[in-house]
Amino acid sequence: MLVFTRKLDEAIIIGDGVEVRILRVGRHGVKLGITAPSHIAIHRREIYDQIREENRQAATMPMSAEGIVQQLRQILEARQSSAPRSTPEANR
Amino acid sequence: MMRSESEPSRLDTRFGAFDLDPRDIVEFPDGLPGYEECRQFVLVTSPTLAPLQCLHSVGDHVASFLVTDPGLVCPEFVRTLASADRDRLQATEDTPLLWLSILTVDADGAMHANLRAPVIINAERMVGSQVIPQHSAYPVRGALALAS
Repeated sequence: MLVFTRKLDEAIIIGDGVEVRILRVGRHGVKLGITAPSHIAIHRREIYDQIREENRQAATMPMSAEGIVQQLRQILEARQSSAPRSTPEANR
Repeated sequence: MMRSESEPSRLDTRFGAFDLDPRDIVEFPDGLPGYEECRQFVLVTSPTLAPLQCLHSVGDHVASFLVTDPGLVCPEFVRTLASADRDRLQATEDTPLLWLSILTVDADGAMHANLRAPVIINAERMVGSQVIPQHSAYPVRGALALAS
């Protein structure tokens, strides 16, 4: 791993067109400003990892597609016959 | 009989075999998180799968996902797209886009849809991406629970 020491408002450049600048240094975190071409996606590592784990789980279904479709249709029917829900519940 | 190039080939999925027309292939330049090597997908639509569809990779790397309209999971789902994400989809504000949520099924049968990172397809350019907005009020695991 390449390690740099940078001061406030100093930057590094990565390859062609990516710049990471130190915008603020606080007690609880460092604020970074990133400039990059639009074809480069930039994500917080922990969110990307969470999406990746969810995709891996999604690709390994524990039951048949028929079973899933049947169960989903039941869920939707049950929903339609009850009062509309405002937001889906988040488990995470 | 010789197969002509225009003749559709067969696509074998966990959900059955479907005709594969090369014109149906959607390019995913970045793949999907965890499946970065999968750069081409087809969206399989079949009455047996409705209201789900199957997003199935084409080529050497096989990955297959069940997907559905996020509006089906969350009727108030708001489709907002950052300009950088729209650029990556080669879309303008007027381009019709197809929004999909990937479904997960737990071992106990509980189902969730990923509302945080929708798969978005620009059918005009046949290009797609799993978009992760910088900020989102929607969960990675939006519950699809039986209403009690």
